[in-house]
Amino acid sequence: MIASAIRVTMPILLAALGAVYSERGGVVNIALEGIMIVGTFFGALGDYFFAQRFPGLTQAMPDLAPLAGVVAAILAGVLIALIHALVTITFRVDQIISGVALNLLAVGVARFLNIQLFHVATQSPSVRGFDPIDLPLLRAVPALRPLATGVSPMIIVALILVFFTHWVLLRTRFGIRLRAVGENPLAADTLGINVYRMRYAGVILSGVLAGLAGAYLAIEQAHLYFEGMTQGRGFIALAAMIFGNWWPIGAMGASFLFGYFDALSLRVVRLPVPYEFITALPYIVSILVLAGFVRRAQPPAADGIPYVKEEE
Amino acid sequence: MKARLYLLEIATPLLAILFGAAVASLIILAIGKNPLDVYAVMVQFSLTRPDSIVSILFKTTPLIFAGLAVAVSFRAMLWNIGVEGQYYVGAVCAAYVGFAVRGLPALLHLPLCLLAAAAGGMAWAFVPIALKLRRGAHEVITTIMMNYIAAAIILYLISDVLRDPTQLGTPRVRTPLFAPSARVPSLGPFLGLLGVAVPEAGRLNWLLPVALATCVALAFVLGRTRFGYEVRAVAFSPDAAEAAGIGNDRVRFLMFMLSGALAGMVGLNDILGFFGYLDIDFPKGLGFLGISVALLAKNNPLGVIPAALLFAFLDRGAEGVQFFSQVPKEVIVILQALIILAIVVAYELLTRYIRGQRKREAESAPPLVPPTRRVSLDTAGVQEVPP
Repeated sequence: MIASAIRVTMPILLAALGAVYSERGGVVNIALEGIMIVGTFFGALGDYFFAQRFPGLTQAMPDLAPLAGVVAAILAGVLIALIHALVTITFRVDQIISGVALNLLAVGVARFLNIQLFHVATQSPSVRGFDPIDLPLLRAVPALRPLATGVSPMIIVALILVFFTHWVLLRTRFGIRLRAVGENPLAADTLGINVYRMRYAGVILSGVLAGLAGAYLAIEQAHLYFEGMTQGRGFIALAAMIFGNWWPIGAMGASFLFGYFDALSLRVVRLPVPYEFITALPYIVSILVLAGFVRRAQPPAADGIPYVKEEE
Repeated sequence: MKARLYLLEIATPLLAILFGAAVASLIILAIGKNPLDVYAVMVQFSLTRPDSIVSILFKTTPLIFAGLAVAVSFRAMLWNIGVEGQYYVGAVCAAYVGFAVRGLPALLHLPLCLLAAAAGGMAWAFVPIALKLRRGAHEVITTIMMNYIAAAIILYLISDVLRDPTQLGTPRVRTPLFAPSARVPSLGPFLGLLGVAVPEAGRLNWLLPVALATCVALAFVLGRTRFGYEVRAVAFSPDAAEAAGIGNDRVRFLMFMLSGALAGMVGLNDILGFFGYLDIDFPKGLGFLGISVALLAKNNPLGVIPAALLFAFLDRGAEGVQFFSQVPKEVIVILQALIILAIVVAYELLTRYIRGQRKREAESAPPLVPPTRRVSLDTAGVQEVPP
């Protein structure tokens, strides 16, 4: 149960990390859901076509095909994030509107390309995942054994990314500047930090991470792309980030909470309440979290507010 | 000067549509088709066949309600992204009243169905707005979450609780048929009286004139009444409004509930006006299209009408394109999203241009001439972020 909760947590966690980068820089990124959608599609696509094109290479190194999928998903995610950055930072259009439009765009693009490439509207052929690995040290501990065997390498990467992101935001020049831009862009600007460039960086990083989240869903979890597979996890990731108080480790804790309820809906078969209510649990929990029934949160001060450089 | 600004305001959406069409053309070229042919097919199929015209008008009705619902919330600087879920709930409520209540005259039954739909939409809108005003939960994410919850609940209700018992052995999952008194009457006979004798016109129903009347009524309420003034005050200057005794929370709550009530009506055109039952595959996604319609209309209730017509036209055209030129109709979904992105960028640039113009004017003109205030209020539109 814990192992499966960790597995279903990963997409939420990765997208929530992306949200942290974007919102720490002061840009609300509702387009995370759309980025995840293109991530799932391009993840499956890259994986599938690499295996088709280079069967010999895939035979020799089976992890190359899923890796190609991950790269494709990240590139596609960055592309959507770039549009979001261009529209919201350069043109200063409302960030929520841009996100909503990009989510619609992502659905359309994934469907259209799926028809063009796979000749059906809603599903890709199945693809192979990474070879699972066993964690050598942890496996020796009997209690942790089920957690440490057959782990997807992407899970390990994601967990490392959590702590890496935390370190970046807390200790590095880039992270501190990014946070400055999200808290007080005017002050940051007067200190010579390029506000637009930092915000672009934050949004693009969120594209990388949400694309990765989509790739994980398609390549590691479902082994194929199908329409609607993200099920609003991009939005849940935003709730997780808020619950985590805009910090990576907090977002990880919150993601596990959502992952737990998500895993519940996969696991529970017989219950007095109808199955549909179990599937609605993660969304209900998100609303409760947002309503602050669990904890009050402190957003970056300039989150969601476009920055106008020149005097008008 | 004023005339030129007016012209620009009309030209902006057209330019945005052209931009969307240009990008869509590239996509069509990329799959080896001639975009001009595709657009020709689209226009010909949509505008020269009576059944297409009827189909466009039929699809306009729910889009008007969805667009109005979103526009009303945007007017109060609130984000109702939950129109999708609100209309699911409204549809279930109307369906329940439609088949469970028997023996009422249509004159009572039909309004009761509409009320049930509005109440359902409002109930679903109540949670996010109450949580926002009381607990400070941002309504964007809560309304989106409510959409998913609504989808799960109506799936359960239609396939379990409200399912037509006579259909149990069949793959059809739907509610029992509504009482005839709950069906919205067709516009066909009325159009016949007017001399429009199109056989397919029977598909149109009285909800279309109701939708149009709602647009006019809302334009009046928001533009000419005291309440409309309060809404503008709260939207553009909440602190000043509060100081002047206009309760911000009261206005926001009322506008959001109005938005929910309008959202509740979105599904009725299909279920009360056409099918006569609520199917598990009833049309979805109209709530999200409503966002696009409202943005294109710049939250103007009268502007919602042409915007809804355009999206209905694109939808119908997509079917024609898919059938006659083998271009997947998803191209049109992409086109719709691009139009929205282009339109918000264009409006933003227009606002900036006007601001710049006004500044220049203020610098050159003698200070006695007041600047054109009206334009600034209109174009400020949705760009401000609600606190």
